[in-house]
Amino acid sequence: MLHIANLRASIAGKTILNGLDLDIPSGEVHAIMGPNGAGKSTLASVLAGRDGYDVSGTATFDGVDLLALTPEDRAAAGLFLAFQHPVEIPGVGNMYFLRSAVNVVRAKRGLPEIGAMDFLGLAKEHMARLEMDPAFLSRSVNSGFSGGEKKRNEILQMSMLEPRLAILDETDSGLDIDALRVVARGIERLRSRDRSMLIITHHPRLLDDVRPDRVHVLSGGRILRSGDHQLAAELEAGGYASTLAAVPA
Amino acid sequence: MNAASESVMDFPSVREEAWRYTPVDEIVSRLEAATAAAMPPTGASVSLPVVDALAGDHAGPRIVFVNGAYAAHLSADDDDLPAGLWCGLADLSHGRAAANVALAGIDHAIDAFLARNHADGRDSAVVVIDPGVRIDVPIHVVHLTAPDDGDELGDSATISHPRTIIDVGDDSHIALIQTYCGLDGRAVTNASTTIRIGRRAEVDHCRVQTESTAATHIGHTRIEQEEGSLLRMTSVTIGGDIARNAISVHLNGTDVQTELSGVNVTTGRQRHDTVVTVDHAASRCASTQRFRGVVDDHGRGSFSGEIIVRPGTVATDAHQSNRNLILSPNAEADTRPWLQILADDVRCTHGATVGRLDDDALFYLRSRGIPLDAARMMLIAAFIRDITDAIPHESLRAHVAAIIASSKSVVATDIERLK
Repeated sequence: MLHIANLRASIAGKTILNGLDLDIPSGEVHAIMGPNGAGKSTLASVLAGRDGYDVSGTATFDGVDLLALTPEDRAAAGLFLAFQHPVEIPGVGNMYFLRSAVNVVRAKRGLPEIGAMDFLGLAKEHMARLEMDPAFLSRSVNSGFSGGEKKRNEILQMSMLEPRLAILDETDSGLDIDALRVVARGIERLRSRDRSMLIITHHPRLLDDVRPDRVHVLSGGRILRSGDHQLAAELEAGGYASTLAAVPA
Repeated sequence: MNAASESVMDFPSVREEAWRYTPVDEIVSRLEAATAAAMPPTGASVSLPVVDALAGDHAGPRIVFVNGAYAAHLSADDDDLPAGLWCGLADLSHGRAAANVALAGIDHAIDAFLARNHADGRDSAVVVIDPGVRIDVPIHVVHLTAPDDGDELGDSATISHPRTIIDVGDDSHIALIQTYCGLDGRAVTNASTTIRIGRRAEVDHCRVQTESTAATHIGHTRIEQEEGSLLRMTSVTIGGDIARNAISVHLNGTDVQTELSGVNVTTGRQRHDTVVTVDHAASRCASTQRFRGVVDDHGRGSFSGEIIVRPGTVATDAHQSNRNLILSPNAEADTRPWLQILADDVRCTHGATVGRLDDDALFYLRSRGIPLDAARMMLIAAFIRDITDAIPHESLRAHVAAIIASSKSVVATDIERLK
C-alpha cells in the first residue's frame, strides 16, 4: 500500500530524512520508534504534504505518486495524519469542520453527502465510543481543548474519515493512562484488513495495546533496524543507543 | 447654514488626520467629473427582485431610493408601517417631518462633501420613531445606485447624494438597516446619515455597503446619543473601488453605551478607509470599537479610530481593537488609534494587529481533505465571525455571508502566494 524508497527531506538546508526506505502492506500496523530528532515527525509531515521541505525520492500510495499530490488530495486518496500537536482554530466550529471534511472526502470517493442531522447522530456514536462529550461538536476546532481532548478529537476525525492509511504522530504523548487506553481502543477498533497504520511513538506503552506487525527504528533520517513487536520490548529494556549498537555495520 | 455658504467649503486634504489614508484628490476629481442621474433611471430597470437580490428582504418595512430619489413603487406603503414609525421625505408637508427640525442643529455640514450632499441631494429619507415605541422588525433604508448606460467611454460616472435623517424617540427600541448597494457601473455615492437616539432608547444599527467595484463611496454617519441610550452598530464594507466610511458618535448624555463593530473585505485594487470617532462628552459612558479588516490582492484597507474624552467627565470606559488579515504580499493594512483623553477618571484600552492566515491551520484543514480555497474561506470567515455573528438579523447575516463568500478575489487562490 505505502512504498517509500530513498526518501530525503531537508528544511532550510538541514537534512532530516536521509534515504529512508519503508514498505507498509495493506492491513498491517507498523510502528516507528526513535530518539528525539531522528526525523519521525518530519516523515509524517512529508507524507501528509506539509509545505516547506525539499523532498526527493519516492513515496507511492497504491501506486500513486504521493509526493505530487496536494494535502487535500492525499486525504481524499485515503491518507490521514493524526497530528502530534493538533492545531487550534478559533471561529471554525468542530461540527462544521468535521462534516465539511467528511463530505468532501466522500464526494471524491463517489459517495453521497451526509446531511446535517444524520451526521450529528453519526458523530455522537463515534464520540460515545471515545468517551467524548458531544458538547465538543459545538466548540471551535481544538480551541481550548486539553491535550487529551485534542488527541481524542484526532481519533474522532480518523474514525469518521475512514482512511486507508493512518499515520499517528505521537498520539500517545501527553496522555494519562486512562486517556491512553481510550485512544488505544479507538485505534485498535479501526484496525482492519484494508487499513494500514503507521504509529510514530517514543514510548512502547501504546504498542502493548495496539500490537504492531512490524517495528522500525528511525535514527539519523534512516531506518536502522526493523523487527517484530519484540523489538519494542528490546528498545524499552536497552534504550536506543545499545539497541542500535547491535546493528551490524 | 445655507447651501450657498456651504458650497464654498474646501474639500479636506490628506494632511488632516481623519483623511490621512483617503485618496482625497482622486475622490474629488471623480466627484467633480460625475453627472447626476437621469430620472427615472434610464439605463437600468430597477425592480423589486433587483432590490431583494442586492439589499435583501429582512422582514421589516423597507424604503428604497434609486440614485438618491425616493422610489415609491419599491418602498413599503405608509399603511403597512408599524404604529409609532413614520418614514418619508424631508420635504413632505407631513407633520412628523417637522421632527427633523430637531435634528437641524446636528445635521450640519462639516466639510465640502457634506456641503455637496446637503446642497445637491435630491430626496432625504426621514425616519421618525415616536417615544416609547418598540419595533421588532428592522427598518430598512436602501440606497441603490443605477449608473446610466450609454457611457461606453466611461468619462462620466453617475452621482447621487443620499441623505438619511433618523430620530429615535425616548425609550424606544428599534433595529435599523442601511444598505448602500448598486448595479454594475461607475457611480459616485456621497452619503450622509444623521441619527439622534433619545433618552434610554436602544438602537441596533447595521450599515452594509456592497456597491459595485467600480463605485466611489463617501459615507458619513453622525450619531448623537442622549442620556442612558444604547447603540449597537455593525458596519460592513465590501463594495466600491474607493470607499470611505466615517462614523462619529457623540455621547452627549450620561450612562450611554456605544458598541461599534465593523469589517471591511478589500480585494482587487479596492481602497477601504474606515474612520471612527467616539466622543465622550458626558460621564459614566462606555464605548467599544471592534473592527476587522480582510485585505487581499492589491487591496488597501485602513482604520483610524479616535477616542475623545472631554474634560470634566468621570467614569469613562473606552475600548478599541482593530485586527487585520493580509492575504497577499501586495495587500496593505494601516491601522491607527488616535486618543485624546482630556479627563483623569478613564479606563481606556486599544490594540491593533496585522497578520497573515495561519499556515498551520490551513495545513490542518487541507490534511482533512478540505480544498485550499474552502480552507482559506473557512479561516477568513472565522476571523470576522465575532463581527458578523453580532448582526442581529438572521437574513442579513446570511446575505452578508453570501456576498463575502462570492467576493471573487477572496476565493481566488494563488498557490504561489502561500509559499
